[in-house]
Amino acid sequence: MESAQLFNFATVAYLVAMVCYISYLAFRSEGLGKVATYVTCAGLVLQTIALAMRWIESYQMGIGRVPLSNLYESLVFFTWSTVLIYLFVEWRYKTRAFGAFVMPVAFLALAFINFAGISTDISPLVPALKSNWLFYHVLISFLGYAAFAVAFAVSMIFLLIDMEDRGPVRDLGIGLGALAALAIIGYAMAAAGERMKLVFWMGLGVLILAWFLYLVMRGAKNKPQVYLFWSCCVTLAIGLMVAMGFDIIYLNLTHSLKPGDSMKQHLFEASFLSKSLVNVFIAWGLIAGLFWFIWSKGMSLKKHLVQYVPSQDVLDDATYRMIAIGWPLLTGGIITGAVWANSAWGTYWGWDPKETWSLITWFVYAIYLHSRYVRGWKGTQMAVISAVGFLAVIFTYLGVNLVLSGLHSYGGMN
Amino acid sequence: MEKQNQQGMVEVVADKTWKFFSAVKLAVVLLIILAVVSVIGTVIQQNQAPEDYLKEYSLATIQLFEALGFFDLYHTWWFVLLLLLLTANLTICTLERFPFAWKAMRAPLKSLEDDGFKAVPFKKEIMVKGGMEAAETAALKVLHGKRYSHQLTKEQGATHLASQKGAYSRMGVYVTHLSIILIFVGALTGAFFGFKGFLNLPEGEASSVVYLRNEPLWDQIMAGFGISKSPVIHDPRGGVPAMPLGFFVRTDDFEVDYYANAGRPTGMPSEYWSILSVYDLQQHKVLEKRIRVNDPLSHHGITFYQSSYGTIPNAVGKIVLNVTQKNSPGPGETVVVEPGSSVYVKSIDRTIKAAGIAPFGMRDPATGQVQYYQARNEELVNPTVELEVYRGKSLAYRTQVMKVDSSEPSMPENYRISYIDYWGARYTGLQVTKDPGVWIVYTGFILLCIGPLIAFFGSHRKLWLRIQDRKGQAAVLVGGSSNRNRLAFEREFNSIVEAIAK
Repeated sequence: MESAQLFNFATVAYLVAMVCYISYLAFRSEGLGKVATYVTCAGLVLQTIALAMRWIESYQMGIGRVPLSNLYESLVFFTWSTVLIYLFVEWRYKTRAFGAFVMPVAFLALAFINFAGISTDISPLVPALKSNWLFYHVLISFLGYAAFAVAFAVSMIFLLIDMEDRGPVRDLGIGLGALAALAIIGYAMAAAGERMKLVFWMGLGVLILAWFLYLVMRGAKNKPQVYLFWSCCVTLAIGLMVAMGFDIIYLNLTHSLKPGDSMKQHLFEASFLSKSLVNVFIAWGLIAGLFWFIWSKGMSLKKHLVQYVPSQDVLDDATYRMIAIGWPLLTGGIITGAVWANSAWGTYWGWDPKETWSLITWFVYAIYLHSRYVRGWKGTQMAVISAVGFLAVIFTYLGVNLVLSGLHSYGGMN
Repeated sequence: MEKQNQQGMVEVVADKTWKFFSAVKLAVVLLIILAVVSVIGTVIQQNQAPEDYLKEYSLATIQLFEALGFFDLYHTWWFVLLLLLLTANLTICTLERFPFAWKAMRAPLKSLEDDGFKAVPFKKEIMVKGGMEAAETAALKVLHGKRYSHQLTKEQGATHLASQKGAYSRMGVYVTHLSIILIFVGALTGAFFGFKGFLNLPEGEASSVVYLRNEPLWDQIMAGFGISKSPVIHDPRGGVPAMPLGFFVRTDDFEVDYYANAGRPTGMPSEYWSILSVYDLQQHKVLEKRIRVNDPLSHHGITFYQSSYGTIPNAVGKIVLNVTQKNSPGPGETVVVEPGSSVYVKSIDRTIKAAGIAPFGMRDPATGQVQYYQARNEELVNPTVELEVYRGKSLAYRTQVMKVDSSEPSMPENYRISYIDYWGARYTGLQVTKDPGVWIVYTGFILLCIGPLIAFFGSHRKLWLRIQDRKGQAAVLVGGSSNRNRLAFEREFNSIVEAIAK
């Protein structure tokens, strides 16, 4: 049996688990819940064996390297660690309510990779990556990312429960209008040349940062804004995942992935960054539609959810616990990276964008950990900071390569 | 009177400053500012050549960014000041709170009075059958099983048990804060007393200096005040400053290995390495090491990292060949010849002429013919030498030898010529650093791994038990508190109460 087959079985297991968790929520049947847990465990075991086998296979091919170094492998490993940490939360908090939210992520991620047949080749490593530190660095970082992902999911549930009503339709109008305006301005400015593109992205960055700061400082007093933020986060999480799925399918259908190219270099070429203007419009239209759907249906989801999820105190505590696990792991990831860099180049810290963004993420979660000692910062603000932290995680993982290197006319992705 | 007033002023200012720096709020504000300004340096590329910036920004923008230090943001005085403020905040926060935490950790266990029981967050009363003795034994057994330390006192017919565990966890925060202070101190030490440099050293050459990217701050300051002269040699024409090493480093050999596909080399490097020798100033060899990426050489606190390589333009290297008799097992004769020239090989009585060398040749597996490929940057992927072998003055035959060959080259006579090296045409690119602060930073790293684990996964838990006789049965009042992680403590508290009740 090959590792790829086992990955397929694991995917099927996660699909079954996802269906069970959702039906558990819908029918409140303890039996279904137990089945869901068992199937998830089985899936995790299968995936663990598959990862181990892939490692062995690389040795049989004479390359012999840890299965953690391209996008395919890191996505597989990300799902693995997310499921692992989810199961820990389920055991620790004796609640299966989060399963219906975490398992779809695990399943969709694996399904896109497996069924779309993204390049699973085990390719050789460049000399700088040949280090034992690679294994520890990637392992620890991804476990941290997974903990933050679970914290993010829990904060999202917290924020939803925390909302009283969704506020006036005007807010949605502002949100969608801003999205449409940004898309048009961005396109116009990108067409006007590199410099204007840079100005656009910088302006957008400043706006987003200002909004985050506002939410953290004043969020508890302006719940409709927080709800808008919640809708944006959920849209972003779903949108990113679906868009990446499309990329994988598109790249495989067109076979435009050259050997030695990594998936990361072609992200969103099937949607937001497509060469065809029609595709871009459809992509942004779908995102706007998704945003509208989430914003308008959120409150009915809340009514349904309130019956199943634990109290807000427990949700708050669960978020804190997850970040208390994730933050030391992120610290460990940064440290192993620094030690590795020092053994390879003699510099443990070089302020390159990836390093800096991991430090920014570290700062954000450090703020989270200290914020409970600041008077008046409770539940809502904490959940917002946790969400902002996860956005920083996503940006560290994807945005640095995608947005930042795209900003510069020189300086490639390598 | 006036004097007293003044003192009061100084005290007030000192007190206010101390309060300002000891506030958690300042830490949060500083972290937010640091997070936000750090973003700028990732959006604007750092330390690029001026012509690259001109491609991207208008002249006015460049002048503005230059003035704000945005092109080398993380080394500007204001960014370093922010880090300094954070460190000061951390230090003062720690000094402010540490004595209390230390006291709380070392405080002796005390039994709780009735008022005390009113104040604890968790409290439960249970009845235990079998009298006070049995209740006491049961309680001690449960507490021991949960790894609580305890102190037992008896007064007025009641037995008091005070117990605790995880007191050490109060130190986790301070270990974490200390680690960050250490990392900052280590980084400063490196900036003051260390340097970063590079050296492109051709095969066979030695150097006693490296070229600096940044000069040690300490030397700059000392030279600036005229206290002592910096050891750095500045090129009057404005070239890269050089730092004397105090010893020589020589590249003995440099090699690149390429990934092979079905026994044939691809152009993709799998590993590159240099053999470096260190000589003292009296030219005695001190040590030799084969370095590769991720495996550097260190001498006198200066470390040489394999970082890059390249071909020296128009350089003519030396072809090294080995000639062995086909029927004798000996090591054979090593022959060195430059491209285009000939050499007489005594052991086989032939003259070998190296007609030419190509960087990337491969044998066609079907025909056995050698074909030449374009190598990226003139890299020596599979160096192939065109040989002409002369018997006296007449040409005996032509052949090719190469580094990696899929079959035997044709050698009609009773000896074998094989390729060893093409030496002297390449340089090895070395990163050279001296960082005396790295061990302070690493100590900080270790503490930073341990500190959060203690802080987040430990908690100082206290339990108080009061056992009193009530009509032959024992009434046990249990109170508990935890400084962190209340949900988990609540679970433990309930399970302990249940276990004692059994």
